[in-house]
Amino acid sequence: MPFALGRPLGTAGDTEFQKNVLRASFEMLQSAVEPTIEDYPIEAPVESGSSDWSCPVSFAVAEDESISARILAEINLMAPWSAETRATRDRTLFGVTGAGPDQVEQVARALGEIADHGNVTDLPAGDISWQFEMPLLIRHMVDDLRTFYHEAVAAQPGDSSPSHEALNDWIFSSTALGDGIQAIAKHLTHVGDGESLMTRGFLVPEGYLASGGSSFPTPAERQENKKA
Amino acid sequence: MRLRSSEMQPVAPAPWITPKPLKDCIVAIISTAGLHRRTDVPFKVGAVDYRLIPGDADFGDLVVSHIRTNFDRSAYQQDPNIWFPLDRLREMAADGEIGGVSSWHYSFMGAQPNHHALSKAGEEVGQLLAAGEVDVALIVPV
Repeated sequence: MPFALGRPLGTAGDTEFQKNVLRASFEMLQSAVEPTIEDYPIEAPVESGSSDWSCPVSFAVAEDESISARILAEINLMAPWSAETRATRDRTLFGVTGAGPDQVEQVARALGEIADHGNVTDLPAGDISWQFEMPLLIRHMVDDLRTFYHEAVAAQPGDSSPSHEALNDWIFSSTALGDGIQAIAKHLTHVGDGESLMTRGFLVPEGYLASGGSSFPTPAERQENKKA
Repeated sequence: MRLRSSEMQPVAPAPWITPKPLKDCIVAIISTAGLHRRTDVPFKVGAVDYRLIPGDADFGDLVVSHIRTNFDRSAYQQDPNIWFPLDRLREMAADGEIGGVSSWHYSFMGAQPNHHALSKAGEEVGQLLAAGEVDVALIVPV
């Protein structure tokens, strides 16, 4: 299928396009006489979302504020937008960490404190029944918060729904969440064991690590771990 | 990733079976998106097990614990059918294009370069599909 990674049926919300993809797959079952691979010849229509999307809300940055405080400020600003999207969709993807749909602030506070203080080994305190151990939990906390940010963006005025790349650009260039992820990536690098470095790889998309290169362990880091 | 794929062992084709006419076929979805119900144990790194998703699942009950960060989750948030086309299958069944939708669907976490590690779970799911009288398994990778 000639579709972007994460869009195996082509286009979100286009029922006929999705059904045509399914029909093409099913028809192969009737026509093929042996295991067969065929290219799907139709590209997904260009969605209104584009790579030149920009978020209409900008977040003020005070130099002396902690990352935790900045992320919480962002959460507060975006909460009405996210609530709007959740109400429209009647669902949310938020909660893989074990947090309830309304525990966004607790997840944000916990992630911010990890970014500010660098504790990547102890489970955050609080009343959430976390579904992962540390440091892997961090990766899923980020996913939950990204879900919340995406929900907020989806409700904002305008036809444009941003592409995956545009969302990554925005998160990592304009939000405290992005700064927090980069700070945690540094902490994980500092800890330096195999699990922490793999978590860094699962945390930062390729091409977005502030220090450059792949976010997965480098050959030098792997070598260092072998020695240890 | 290219290096890892070059290390993958080729999978020999299974015997070809032409299914019944589509209008008589029961279809199940096999997803590799790391989807599961909120109440399920999430997938862990390197997971080779699977989760059951009931045919009457509500998308609001599903979450994603796929470990990779490089594929787009925003489209799924907008329309879960783009990964897990349950509504599309229901519509196609209602229109008589397929015979019906399975009572159960199955979810794995992809990004697993070792095919052999998935053999046990794969065979188990195959047996469950057969026991559920499923004619077509629609594998939807992400």
